[in-house]
Amino acid sequence: MASKLAVSRLSKSFGDLEALRGINLAVERGEFISVVGPSGCGKTTFLRIVAGLEHATAGDVLLDGRVVREPGTDRGFVFQNDSLLPWRTVFANAIIGRELAGSIGQADRKRTMELLKLVGLEGFEHYHPRQLSGGMRQRVNLARALAIDPEILLMDEPFAALDAQTREIMQAELLRIWERGHKTVLFVTHQIDEAVFLSDRVLVFARRPGRLQEEVKIALPRPRTLEIKRTGEFVGLVDHIWRMIEDDVRAAALYENA
Amino acid sequence: MSATSDSAKAISQPESAPAASSFSHPFVGALRRRYLAGTLSVVGGLLLWELVSRVLVANALFLAAPSEIVVAIYNLAATGQLWHHIAVSAAEFALGYVIASSIGIALGLAMASSATMKQALQPWISGLYATPTIALAPLFILWFGIGIWSKVIVVISLVLFPVTINTEAGLRTTSERLIEMLRSFGATRRQIFVKVSLPSAVPFILAGLKLGIGRGLIGVVVAELFGSRAGLGRLISQSADAFNMPELFAGVVILAFAGIVMTAGFGWLEKRLVPWTRD
Repeated sequence: MASKLAVSRLSKSFGDLEALRGINLAVERGEFISVVGPSGCGKTTFLRIVAGLEHATAGDVLLDGRVVREPGTDRGFVFQNDSLLPWRTVFANAIIGRELAGSIGQADRKRTMELLKLVGLEGFEHYHPRQLSGGMRQRVNLARALAIDPEILLMDEPFAALDAQTREIMQAELLRIWERGHKTVLFVTHQIDEAVFLSDRVLVFARRPGRLQEEVKIALPRPRTLEIKRTGEFVGLVDHIWRMIEDDVRAAALYENA
Repeated sequence: MSATSDSAKAISQPESAPAASSFSHPFVGALRRRYLAGTLSVVGGLLLWELVSRVLVANALFLAAPSEIVVAIYNLAATGQLWHHIAVSAAEFALGYVIASSIGIALGLAMASSATMKQALQPWISGLYATPTIALAPLFILWFGIGIWSKVIVVISLVLFPVTINTEAGLRTTSERLIEMLRSFGATRRQIFVKVSLPSAVPFILAGLKLGIGRGLIGVVVAELFGSRAGLGRLISQSADAFNMPELFAGVVILAFAGIVMTAGFGWLEKRLVPWTRD
C-alpha cells in the first residue's frame, strides 16, 4: 500500500541559508509522527512546506499520491498561536474551513457542533475568543482543523504557549481525540516528552543544515495516559532523544544569544 | 422581589453602602463612586463661571453667565430662530460628512488594494491632511457662494483625509497570522479580503470617522463665520457683532453638545460593532 504522505529528497533554502537538506519520509495512514529538534533545525519550515504555505527548493511532497503545491482542505493546520478571528464566535471560527470551501450545509453545522463537543467546548459555541482561556482557544484551533475532515493533521507546536499543567491536559486530550478517528498526524514540537508521549515515531532533526538525523520508534502501548510519563521506558526514550540533540541545542542557544 | 433582597443585602453589609441614605442600593453606590468626581467638577465649574461672570467681570458685553445662556437658548428656541440655525448647520455637516466618509473609505480601499494607487495618492493625502485646509474656506466661499455648498466642501476637505488614512492603515495592518490561517484553508485573495482584512479594519475606520466629527464641526462653524446667511456659526458671528454674549455662548454650547452627543454615539457604536477591541 502506498504511503499516506511521502516526502522525497526535500530541500529548502532561504537565500544562502540551507534550511532543509534531503528530507525523506514515508508516513502510513493513521500514524502519529512527531518532529523534534533544536531551534533552527527547519522543523517548522518542513511542516509549512507540507501545508503548502511554503515552497520547497527541491524534492517533493506527495499526499495520497498527489503532489502538494498549495494549501488545501486535504490538510488541516493547527497553529502555534490560536489565530482565531476575534469577531467570530467559537462556532463561526470552527466552521470557517467549510465556509471557505463553499456554502455551509446542515451536515457541516452538525459536524462542527459534534467536534466542538469532542474537544470539550460544548456550551461555548456562542462565546467569543476573548472570553476563553489559552487552552480553550487551542481546542477551537484543533476543532477548526478537524472540521474540514482533512486527510492529515499538521500541528505546529500547538501547546507551546500554554502553561505546563494545561499543556499536559491538552496532550492527554489530543490522544483521546486521536484514538477516536486515528487521523494521520504530523506534530512539530520542541518538547521531547510531548513527542514521545503522543507519537508512534519521533523524527529527530539536526540543524545547519536542517536534516533528519534519526528516527525513533515509540513502542509504548496505547491507549496511553499521563502516568506513562513516569515509567522507566518512557524516561529512557526521552533521555535517548535528548542526548542525541543536546550538543545541537546548546549550539543553537549560544547562537541565538550571540 | 429582587429590590428587597438587594436592600437586605445592603443592610447586612453596611460597608457596601457607606453613606446612610434612602438610596442604599449597591448599584447606586457604584454609580456614585463612578460619577461623583466628574459631576462635582462640572457643577463646581459652572458655579465658578456664574460667580466670575456676575461678580468679577460683571460686564454683559464680555461674558455671559450660564444661567443667562440657558435663558438665551430658551428664547431663541421660542422664536424659532434657533431651529433654523441648527437645521442649516446640521444639513451642511451631514452632507459633507456622509460624502467625505464615502469617498474616504473608497479611497482607502483603493489605496490598500493597489500599490500603484497608493503611491499615486499618498503624497496628496498626507500633504492635504497636514495642511490646515480650513484656511481655504474663504476661497471655497468665493467659488461656491455663501449658501450651504461652500460649507459642505469645507467639511469634506477636513473629514476626507483622516477617514482615508485610517481605512488604508486598517486594511494594511491586518494580522499576518490571521491571513496565513485563512491561506492554510485554501482561501482566495478575495476571501482573505472579505473575511479578515475588512472586519479587522472596521475599528480603524470607526476611529477615522470619530476623528472626522470634531473636524467637521470646526469646518461648519469656521466656514459660516467667513460668510453665510444662517447656521450656528452665523448666529455666533452676528451675536459677537451685537455684543450679545448670551446668544454667542448659546451657539457655542449647542455645538459642544452636538460634538459630545455624536462622539458618545460613536463610542456606543464601537461597543456594538467591534467589541473585541475593548480590553
